[in-house]
Amino acid sequence: MPLPPRPHISLSALTVHHRKTLALDALTLDFERGVHGLLGPNGAGKTSLIRVLATVAPATAGRVEVLGHDLADRRALPAVRRRLGYLPQDFGFYPGFTVREFVAYVAWLKELSRETTGAAVERALERVGLGDRADARMKTLSGGMLRRAGIAQALVNEPDVLLLDEPTAGLDPEQRVEFRELLRDVGRDAAVLVSTHLVEDVAAACTEVTLLAEGRVAYRGTTEQLAALGADPAEAGDHPIERGYTAALRHHRATAPSAAGVTR
Amino acid sequence: MNSSTPVNPWPLTGRLDGRLLYARSRGLPLALLVLACLALATAWGAAGPASFLDFERRVPVIAAAPLLAAAVIGTSLHEHSAELDRTAARPWWLWRLVQIGALTALAAAALALAVPGRADLFGAAAMVRATLGATGIAAASATVLGARLSWLPGSAYIGAVYLRTPLRPGGAAEWWAWPMQPGPQDAAWTVAAVLFAGGTALYALRGAKAEPT
Repeated sequence: MPLPPRPHISLSALTVHHRKTLALDALTLDFERGVHGLLGPNGAGKTSLIRVLATVAPATAGRVEVLGHDLADRRALPAVRRRLGYLPQDFGFYPGFTVREFVAYVAWLKELSRETTGAAVERALERVGLGDRADARMKTLSGGMLRRAGIAQALVNEPDVLLLDEPTAGLDPEQRVEFRELLRDVGRDAAVLVSTHLVEDVAAACTEVTLLAEGRVAYRGTTEQLAALGADPAEAGDHPIERGYTAALRHHRATAPSAAGVTR
Repeated sequence: MNSSTPVNPWPLTGRLDGRLLYARSRGLPLALLVLACLALATAWGAAGPASFLDFERRVPVIAAAPLLAAAVIGTSLHEHSAELDRTAARPWWLWRLVQIGALTALAAAALALAVPGRADLFGAAAMVRATLGATGIAAASATVLGARLSWLPGSAYIGAVYLRTPLRPGGAAEWWAWPMQPGPQDAAWTVAAVLFAGGTALYALRGAKAEPT
């Protein structure tokens, strides 16, 4: 009998400290293929989780598996990184690069072959609607275009795990609608984690929501289930999912023992 | 041309070659240009008639040129996209070693050639040694402080040594005043070699400290 497929991402008691602050408190979670929204107030641990999964920050304790590889095994990191796409909140770039060169540079980081890089770069730029700005210098781009260039570099290797930290910041409403469509498209084959404050993006594009608070899971469920929590119009928020977010957060704060995000 | 050969509609032009993009992202073309200018300026400064009559008149050149070369090499270690670079599948330690090793070798060779005459009296040997030591300090400083400030600790130390070095070479000064020794002093070479090996190894393993873009 074949074994069930492994989740794309598996966390077991993941703990992250930043100096004396506890950022993630023994998180145990799995993420399968699909688009997963990561919600939570500032300081909840969303970026800490994304950075650990992106292999740029270490876990203090616990086990993290990405695509079947334990991230504690440094020899496995290149194999994981080849199949990983990552958009940080603030990604830097060499200002002399054009958009095409910037995306090609990341393709080189991911060890794409010389034969496939040209086509991969063009495809990534087309997917984010920057095909006509491929030869523009990065330093001349508007905020929204920079964000799209960042999304393009995250897609250039057709990742199996895509990690996006505040991807829609700076995008106009039309671009956000197109971006959500892109997320749904990528999520058919990959596990996509989207950390955001914009709950309407989650409502429109995500199949599952994880709400973090003080480094712990405050709520987990489908988008519909979170929206159902917000059925009471007396709850704060204009949209059912906003009300669901608020209700879940308040419930967590009322029931969970005082925890993390605090100095220990 | 064989008609059955698939045509890649997006050929990878030279400008998109990863190695070239890496070199540009580190500002290496500009670094090489500055190092070449520095070697010419050093040759001009070290070849004055007074320098042939009194080799100790080269001391300011021996102090300044390696320091400037190390500053150029140190600032080239800056990563504009540090967060993305850290997700690279490539073995960074190797690329870092190649970058710092190649730049140091080029700078040391060019500066050594720029000081003609006796190698053992504030000549090529002292230039190579000072370049190695200063680059080692810059590499370690890039790891701890960031590449943009990597020139600072070496400048402070070598500047202080320049002002306080004893007139006679040798003795305990071989250890602490290693940049100002005339040439063959073993202790001075040991210190410079340890600084270069240690600084380079630290940088290769950890990379430059991430800095805001």
